Amino acid sequence: MSNPVPAGNPGDREDDQSGRFVMQPNGRPRPLSPHLQVWRFHDTMWGSILNRGAAIAMSGGALFVVAWLAAAAFGPEAYETFSAVMGSPIGLLVWFGLTLASCYHLTAGIRHLVWDAGHGLTPKTSSRLTWASFLSAVFIAFAIWGFLIGSGRVAL
Amino acid sequence: MSHHGQKAFLKGVKVSERHGAGEWKAERLSSLVLIPLTLWGLWSAIALTGGGYDRARDWFTQPVNAVLLALTLLIALWHMYMGLKVVIDDYIHRPASNRTLLGLIGLICLVLAAASVFFIVRLALGSAPLPAGFGF
Repeated sequence: MSNPVPAGNPGDREDDQSGRFVMQPNGRPRPLSPHLQVWRFHDTMWGSILNRGAAIAMSGGALFVVAWLAAAAFGPEAYETFSAVMGSPIGLLVWFGLTLASCYHLTAGIRHLVWDAGHGLTPKTSSRLTWASFLSAVFIAFAIWGFLIGSGRVAL
Repeated sequence: MSHHGQKAFLKGVKVSERHGAGEWKAERLSSLVLIPLTLWGLWSAIALTGGGYDRARDWFTQPVNAVLLALTLLIALWHMYMGLKVVIDDYIHRPASNRTLLGLIGLICLVLAAASVFFIVRLALGSAPLPAGFGF
């Protein structure tokens, strides 16, 4: 932590004893940034962390998509091999995860565009938007896989 | 770049001094374009799942699909590069490591983009399966 603010008039920021203010190098007291240890975990923090996690997962997923293109370009045998590997339990789990990541990155992206336009920025509405993006992403992902399995396109 | 600490303001908001505003706009623009493209991509993935090689081959020979898929992947890879750049800038502060990782990510994105376009063009044109003509 930076230099504590020296004692001055009690009750004001010049005489802060709570550690909420620090003396800046220019000699002015300024509020200390919210610190991890005193920061209450928020819905929007989960929203942000999961969005970045989904983005990193999708970056790995990009390799799978290009591998699919390669398999198609290399002909029927390569395509069948690719389909068999991706149709295995682990392969299906990976693609379900990528579906969920894509759906969440999509809904979270829309949420961020709404915020960027200056809407829904109060604590209550931002939490609600975050939950809406969670639930709609899970709903879309399960709807897709429900249809894929129900219509027999994916055999478990 | 501004000099002598001169700061420009527009409607009371500070104008970015270098390339920050351009990056911000590029991130939002690519996000906006990717919304319909992602929905189309999910729809196409559902249509192609379980269809085997024949359905995939027929799907690629339709120009709309080939063009939209190439567009989706190129914009997504651009968006992915910008996103991974932010992650690297957030956590990797040593200049040499930061530069190396950014270069590596850029290279991977370029290779993936080139490979995607190459495969999509061959599939769209109905070219023979790949080893043919390449001698391996």
